[in-house]
Amino acid sequence: MSRGTPGAPDVRDTEGTAASTPSITVTDGVEWIHECFPEGDAHLHVSVYLVRTPGGDILIDSGSFHHRDRVAARIREATAGAGPRALILSHSDYPHSGNIPALRSEWGDFEIVASCADPEIQGLPYARRSRIGETLEVLGRPFTFLDPPLADRSHTTWIYDRVSRVLFVADGFATLHPPGACDRFWGALPAAGRAAGVAEFHRQTLRWLRYVDPERLMDALVRLFETHPVVAVAPIHGPPIEVADLDAYLAMLGDAVRAIVRRQT
Amino acid sequence: MPLSPIERPPHREVLPGIHWIQECGRHRVAIAQDLAAHGARWAGGGRELHVPQNAYLLVGERTLLFDTLSPAAGGLVLAALDDILGGRPLDYLAISHPDVPHAGNTGRIRRRHPEARLVAPRAGETHALYHLDDALHVGPHDVIDLGGLTLRFPEATFLDAALHTWMCEETTRTLFTVDWLGFPHVSGECLRRTDEIEAEIDVDRLEAFHSRVMFWFQYVDVDRVRAATDALAREFGGYHLAPAHGLVVREDPERYFQLMNEVVRRVAESGRGGVL
Repeated sequence: MSRGTPGAPDVRDTEGTAASTPSITVTDGVEWIHECFPEGDAHLHVSVYLVRTPGGDILIDSGSFHHRDRVAARIREATAGAGPRALILSHSDYPHSGNIPALRSEWGDFEIVASCADPEIQGLPYARRSRIGETLEVLGRPFTFLDPPLADRSHTTWIYDRVSRVLFVADGFATLHPPGACDRFWGALPAAGRAAGVAEFHRQTLRWLRYVDPERLMDALVRLFETHPVVAVAPIHGPPIEVADLDAYLAMLGDAVRAIVRRQT
Repeated sequence: MPLSPIERPPHREVLPGIHWIQECGRHRVAIAQDLAAHGARWAGGGRELHVPQNAYLLVGERTLLFDTLSPAAGGLVLAALDDILGGRPLDYLAISHPDVPHAGNTGRIRRRHPEARLVAPRAGETHALYHLDDALHVGPHDVIDLGGLTLRFPEATFLDAALHTWMCEETTRTLFTVDWLGFPHVSGECLRRTDEIEAEIDVDRLEAFHSRVMFWFQYVDVDRVRAATDALAREFGGYHLAPAHGLVVREDPERYFQLMNEVVRRVAESGRGGVL
């Protein structure tokens, strides 16, 4: 494993989209595993996270089937072949849930905690359903499931690890990043393109933002962090954001949302 | 007057050439209780409350299936296709958006109907993440002529993910609104048009769905959404409405645009109603 620091080496594969190490430490006991997807001149992360517990490793999301073999290889390497003992799913959108069958095929019927929707309708009849507002123990570790102000699918939950105080935010807090910066945390991305990366992701992806009152949305996010203090925010489609950089991210997000709204009026 | 039950299989030709296939799923206890607490007599009486998934098979000289139902209904949709097609090929399989309850049987249907051309929204940037990069991509300027039925693909005005399209059929004048205009129904109302059930669809019923699914209504500028809804009403006034999670609207469709404006106002004021 390595840490996401400025200037970290970026080793490309044939698609030019791979990370240099199987996992990158976010904080003690939480690691980031990512692949990238080219989007115009930039990259979009498609990530999973590993939460290390005495009872085994918990995987947060499963990655996209587009990256199936490489994600499985990284998980295999990061867990010394043992694989996850449990998986918590933010939502059953395919870039998040697409590898569950393959991972279960390799590592057996480990526990799956699904998001807040009916697991059968989501194609996960074997999963335990989470409910927004509740805290569940997974391998003895408590996770609280939160209603996400930023999401695409209505059945998304944000997952708050009460031990590490990392908040896993699914499609929230994402950004596009430049090629060559795939392993860097958000605060270590080149400053010149950070605001544009945040703005472009939200313009492309959360299309409903065109209708919002930006202040209502941003107030909801601020309130959430007041009640759930974080060490880091862990998006699937962007690099981790350390708490020291959170205000800067929120400021850029607020600017991005206001720009999206202005463009519609 | 009590309605007679519709015998299986769960599909019907709801408008000329438009076959409606419905997956009702299990009884939604929490939503039923919420509605009963608001005085919704139609939701009581020991009846099951359903939040359906709908797929629509359009049959002209050629055929197109719009959405696939959820993975829990794979057998149902395949049986319905067999029933309706009767040996004819499925020419197109169109996905409104790659959400599991809409696209969850894509693989099964393509294995049964390898002749079907996959159709997906042009909107969005991440088709490869959904295995939709090789599909026929459609958007507002595209037309698919089925021979007797003509399909257009207007922008999804109210949506979740970016990779998303609505559809309209111009011969019958039907707008397929996907996640917008969903609402629960009770046993006895399955596969009935709104003009065929006793209860009138009201704001409470529409709010029960949208306050859970269009969770972002709680953050909106109501006037901005109203302007978009009113623009839709101007463009599609008089069209029949065929949602993915409600009943088909054939009569007085204009009324539903007004109801939805009130739904948005309520959710913006009161917040999210829960989850499905």
